[in-house]
Amino acid sequence: MRNRTKHTGWLFIALAVILISIFYFYPMIQALLLSFKTGAGANLHFDGLSNYKRLFSDKTFFTAVKNTFLFLIIQVPIMIIFAMIISVLLNDSKLRFKGFFRTAIFLPCVTSLVAYSVVFKYLFGNDGLINLALMKIHLLSEPIQWISDPFWAKITIIIAITWRWTGYNMIFFLSSLQNIDHSIYEAARIDGASAVKTFFSITIPLLKPIILFTSITSTIGTLQLFDEIMNITKGGPGNATLSISQYIYNLSFKYTPDFGYAATVSYSIVIMIIVLSFLQIRLAGDDK
Amino acid sequence: MKRQVSAVLLAGFLLLTACSSKSNDTANSTDSGGNQGSSKEITVWAWDKNFNIAAMNQAKDVYVKDHPDVKINVVEYAQDDIIQKLNTGLNSGTTSGLPNIVLIEDYRAQSFLQTYPDSFQDLTSSITASDFAEYKLGPTSMNGKQYGVPFDSGVAGMYVRTDYLQDAGYTVDDLQDIDWQKYIEIGKAVKEKTGKDMLTQDPNDLGLIRMMIQSAGSWYLKSDGSTPDLKDNAALKEAFQTYKELMSADIVKITSDWNSFLAGFNSGDVASLPSGNWITPSVKAQADQAGKWAVVPLPKLKNTAGSVHASNLGGSSWYVLNSDGKEAAADFLAQTLGSNVDLYQSLVTDVGVIGTYKPASEGDAYKSEDEFFGGQAVVSDFAKWTTEIPKVNYGMHTYAIEDILKVEMRNFLNGSDIDKVLGDAQSQTEAQIK
Repeated sequence: MRNRTKHTGWLFIALAVILISIFYFYPMIQALLLSFKTGAGANLHFDGLSNYKRLFSDKTFFTAVKNTFLFLIIQVPIMIIFAMIISVLLNDSKLRFKGFFRTAIFLPCVTSLVAYSVVFKYLFGNDGLINLALMKIHLLSEPIQWISDPFWAKITIIIAITWRWTGYNMIFFLSSLQNIDHSIYEAARIDGASAVKTFFSITIPLLKPIILFTSITSTIGTLQLFDEIMNITKGGPGNATLSISQYIYNLSFKYTPDFGYAATVSYSIVIMIIVLSFLQIRLAGDDK
Repeated sequence: MKRQVSAVLLAGFLLLTACSSKSNDTANSTDSGGNQGSSKEITVWAWDKNFNIAAMNQAKDVYVKDHPDVKINVVEYAQDDIIQKLNTGLNSGTTSGLPNIVLIEDYRAQSFLQTYPDSFQDLTSSITASDFAEYKLGPTSMNGKQYGVPFDSGVAGMYVRTDYLQDAGYTVDDLQDIDWQKYIEIGKAVKEKTGKDMLTQDPNDLGLIRMMIQSAGSWYLKSDGSTPDLKDNAALKEAFQTYKELMSADIVKITSDWNSFLAGFNSGDVASLPSGNWITPSVKAQADQAGKWAVVPLPKLKNTAGSVHASNLGGSSWYVLNSDGKEAAADFLAQTLGSNVDLYQSLVTDVGVIGTYKPASEGDAYKSEDEFFGGQAVVSDFAKWTTEIPKVNYGMHTYAIEDILKVEMRNFLNGSDIDKVLGDAQSQTEAQIK
């Protein structure tokens, strides 16, 4: 009887296992094989490690990695700190219209990636609303080249992704905050701890697992950054905002299609994500 | 227990039937497609509603009149989407989701023809290649076989605002047969007198460089279409230097995308517009500027021998995919855009398309004067320049090389030495396209 139960269990998960194998593992292995092939378009042939060698001498690839990490290092901490501060403010029991604020801040991340990117592109255009507004209030005498200047284009992308993803991370912090026992805060208040002290000594330590979770997911998200770059700057001006994913797109579709090398670049992201996630878990999750 | 097993089986069965019914459908549709019976269907993909799509619809109307059994679907996609769909479709080896006829930009044509051999239909016997402009035949043919029906000429000219020029003390005649140095000089005068910039530029688009070097019969690659030609390319060097002078003369309005580019001249912010003739419908879209525009020949490079006042920007051609229905598709193209002089006349009049079919340029429509351009016979001017465009081999890496050049251009604008930036571009390109 027990044996039959076991079989039935297997039967139930068989479907999921088969589907996952076909749609996840098979493409992953195929992509790995592809990364060892060179040739344009459909004329592919195995060529050993030549793609990987090329990767290490590819200036454009390093530009893309540099840009992506710049976004990562600047944007992810800003966003997580924002998310944390906002969630603590919104968790205040005395705050009114809580539902409204939560919805308003969460709303950006239910908008379509492409739609918001296009809107940002127009807002930050040389004749866009942002420039017009800043000039109207005399903060600027000349329009900022938000999209055509290498420095400002990076800033534009950082502003865009911060706007889009802060609310998303805030939700995790909020749900975690609501699980913190209120009596802890009460005890702290009776002991005379200030709000700042409470935040740093109680809230942050208790939020640690969520900080870890959001920073890992944000890291992975930033390493795969594509939609915003594609729709706002296309990697320009002059590769100043090129992300690794945009480079993969360029190699596959903008240039003469080189799917083999594109797969190699994709695998470089896989490796980076594994290494970074491992480091983050090591650094933050000491108790596990 | 039994119930659980049957539930799983049922779920699996549902999935299977879902799959199999799909495959039945495709089998049926290929049957009807392969069966050259009563009705034939041709699907066409192209971009630009006011230009390519409009032209194709005219061709369709002409053809369907004589062939009522043929159904032609013209589908509009953005160019990037077409490239993406073509690449994924052709690479996976299935043509079922692809159209019968597709428009491909000349810069990219060779990358499709060479990387997907046998995916495109040989049209050598369907059209007379020699009837088309000489410079269009390189991109559209391979190994002596003609694969594309050359279409949009992409011939470049300089659109100018005569009123601004007049304010600065110039007439259209002063802009005939000038070089880029003179152009910059005029630009400075215009800026000084009218406050208007001379032109717009998107730093992410090197179209101006492309026009400049092709006017001297030069390209990013040597004439074999595969050897990078950047390091000691005199035309490219002068184009880079001219571009820098242009940028530092403070006569350029920087734009960031297509819409701000259109707005640049539509709103009257700039005095001139070097571009391909396909921009004409967009210039004319601003009806209140009628009579204020003229078209002059493109300036040439001052010091590069062989630079002429004619060049090309963009331009595209039609291709038939080697799949079911290719005969019908080839016949459709052959009888319309491949040979129909009358069709080309109405394309000029109604859509503003200047084709590259030589016999068509004898027609009356090509000689007509355009009131928007102050009565200038712009089409006949463009048609004349079309014959003067130097033939170059675009090869298959235009955009890959250009992405490298954009970075090096920025280095150059920021003060790097010209020989160094072109040398760096050369070595990066060699690594990139090997």
